Amino acid sequence: MENIWYNIQSLLSYDPAAPMIFSSGLFWCLFMMFLPLYALLKKRRLQMLLFVVAFSLYFYYKSSGWFFLLLVGTSLIDWGLSRIMVTLGRRWKRRLCLIASITVSLGVLCYFKYANFFLWNWNSMVKGNFQPLDIILPVGISFYTFQSISYIVDVYKGRVAPTRRWIDYMFFLSFFPALVAGPIVRADYFLPQIERNHNAVTSEIYWGFWLILIGIVKKALIADYISQYNDLIFASPTGYSGFESLMGVVGYTMQIYCDFSGYSDMAIGIALIMGFRLGKNFDFPYKSKNLTEFWRRWHISLSSWLRDYVYIPLGGNRRGTVRTYVNNFLTMLIGGLWHGAAWKFVFWGAMHGVGLAVHKATAPLLRRVPDIWPVKATAWVVTIVYVSLLWVFFRADSWADSWLIIKNIFTNFSPAHILPFIQVRWLWLVMMSIIIVSHSVPSRWIDAVGRRFVRSPWIVKLLVFVVVVQLVVQFMSQDVAPFIYFQF
Amino acid sequence: MKKGLLGLWSILVVAFALFMIVSSFDSISVGSVELKNSGMAHRLTQSPKVDASGFIEAGAVIADSVTLHSGVSQAVNEVDTAAKTILFIGDSMLEGLSPRLAAYAKENGHILYTVIWYSSTSKIWSDASKLSTYIRQFQPDYIFICLGANELFVKDIMAKRDICVKNIIKEIGGIPYVWIGPPNWKDDTGINRLIADNAGPGHYFKSDGMKFERAKDGAHPTHRSAARWMDSVARWMPLHAEHPIKLDFPSVAQARPKKVIVLQPQK
Repeated sequence: MENIWYNIQSLLSYDPAAPMIFSSGLFWCLFMMFLPLYALLKKRRLQMLLFVVAFSLYFYYKSSGWFFLLLVGTSLIDWGLSRIMVTLGRRWKRRLCLIASITVSLGVLCYFKYANFFLWNWNSMVKGNFQPLDIILPVGISFYTFQSISYIVDVYKGRVAPTRRWIDYMFFLSFFPALVAGPIVRADYFLPQIERNHNAVTSEIYWGFWLILIGIVKKALIADYISQYNDLIFASPTGYSGFESLMGVVGYTMQIYCDFSGYSDMAIGIALIMGFRLGKNFDFPYKSKNLTEFWRRWHISLSSWLRDYVYIPLGGNRRGTVRTYVNNFLTMLIGGLWHGAAWKFVFWGAMHGVGLAVHKATAPLLRRVPDIWPVKATAWVVTIVYVSLLWVFFRADSWADSWLIIKNIFTNFSPAHILPFIQVRWLWLVMMSIIIVSHSVPSRWIDAVGRRFVRSPWIVKLLVFVVVVQLVVQFMSQDVAPFIYFQF
Repeated sequence: MKKGLLGLWSILVVAFALFMIVSSFDSISVGSVELKNSGMAHRLTQSPKVDASGFIEAGAVIADSVTLHSGVSQAVNEVDTAAKTILFIGDSMLEGLSPRLAAYAKENGHILYTVIWYSSTSKIWSDASKLSTYIRQFQPDYIFICLGANELFVKDIMAKRDICVKNIIKEIGGIPYVWIGPPNWKDDTGINRLIADNAGPGHYFKSDGMKFERAKDGAHPTHRSAARWMDSVARWMPLHAEHPIKLDFPSVAQARPKKVIVLQPQK
């Protein structure tokens, strides 16, 4: 009994090596206990808010330790300034509050995420002796910072009224399903839902459960499994044949999609069970036939945030053609930097910016091309190849490694490696086939399976859940792989 | 609780109970497929103290006896408690050793980089001079090597490999290191003696003489056995290594090195 108590204590304590994520067993044990209490308090709104905020803060503590206090501090400053803002009559005073809030939010983000990057670059320029600061990046800071900025901007613009109580705002900012890895929830979309306090109906609850299962399969089963091979390729750019490197690149393209969209599915599903909608975050992005479409389907909450809070304030498409391209490019550059403090992310964002600009510039020409399947197929191939090649720069440890992998694909490619690869990596190929096929079929087919699951008897749902969990256990590596977007 | 939530909650509870019960059994098979254990029951009921001492004790007996036999290690130095950047290079034996050393690294604040070169030998490493490259790349302040398993049966080994081992040690330069000897499955033609003589006291952990649970190929220790092997090295170091570093017993069985570089066999 003493051992059990000791082990429970150690499981519940903060462990930097084991952040709590939705695909971990611990989360589901806690969620199992959370659910009846949540249902009990649902109609007592204030108590429900307090309970969920407490759970969210604990969730954040398990991921980032005492940094949860930073989240509380940020929320107090934002909320305080938003309250002050609405009492002020003069525009310049309100603007001052806005600038103060954004400065604090971005200042904290810059310190934790970009301080070492800036210092490193500065020292490279002045040839100084750079010693990195001992800074730990709080998990999910990029996500909640963007949420806090959207809130204060919307209050300033009059799009949303500031919440009367701090706890409502804290609930919005710390809502645990979206806290550490999005989707980036917007105040004008989410705050009214807190007011409504909708009780999820049975079909919503099971649809949420279905999304969770889809998310578990994508993240914990497929992404975590195929990553084992992909990691080998990226760890040793010249250690494999061109064909193997190509498979590693294709593998990573699917891995990052499964990893991120799987986690988003779980977040959306959990929120739906609780009666909240977070909005779609991925819409079969690899079906896109151009980059503009890709960014309408990939990480939708981030791209729409960047559109509304960066691209449009920069002038959007209202200041001429050239300026539109520049705005697009700058927005993607910021988007790239948002993903991480490294030049590789800046390059990745910049190249997406260039791609978007090229697409926009050629759009009038492309519209004249007949919309027949060979054209569609060519457009799709060009888009997917461009996106996949840019993922190499996103994933590789260095600029040199990225080029080595790409060069290896083109200079060391031999069909002789295909058959041995199939023989050795058949399970990896099976996993890849599952995700490629399910991504390619019409989305209504997937939805139809989901609806059938929702209508199925309780015992079928239980069986499906047990099978999915056992499959995860069956293929699980020793440690649960952290979620890729955690670092952002 | 509303009907929908109650239904979902009951699914979670039943599944939890099921996995908890199943995890208390050693193994369950469905047809020819062995179902892996979720480890839930073990995670809750394990006794860290008993497990830890059990592991250490098993390794310690082997390590000490091996050390006495080998007669190449007498140094007793203070343990360097500073966090290290460790480079671990060698042949396929690293597949088993590296995850366990990574667990030690994680526990003790070290950073581990692993380079596995399949089918490699001291000659291959010496000829390629890759160790210097990785030293430049990762800037390690501690090095582990595990090489020799592919040279157990080389005839006239002194003439053929002496210069290779010397070259590798030369490439290491002044960086503290430990060379983990091959886990002999048959008597060797002298590779153990050759490395021990070149490495000198406190640098060579002789694995010959240890008992291993082998994988199907009869050569490689199983992952479990390799973990115990690494435990033995960790237990040996404070007593005999020239430059022992902090290697407290880890709380996790395995971990991932910060980076793993895999090199394919030379054609």
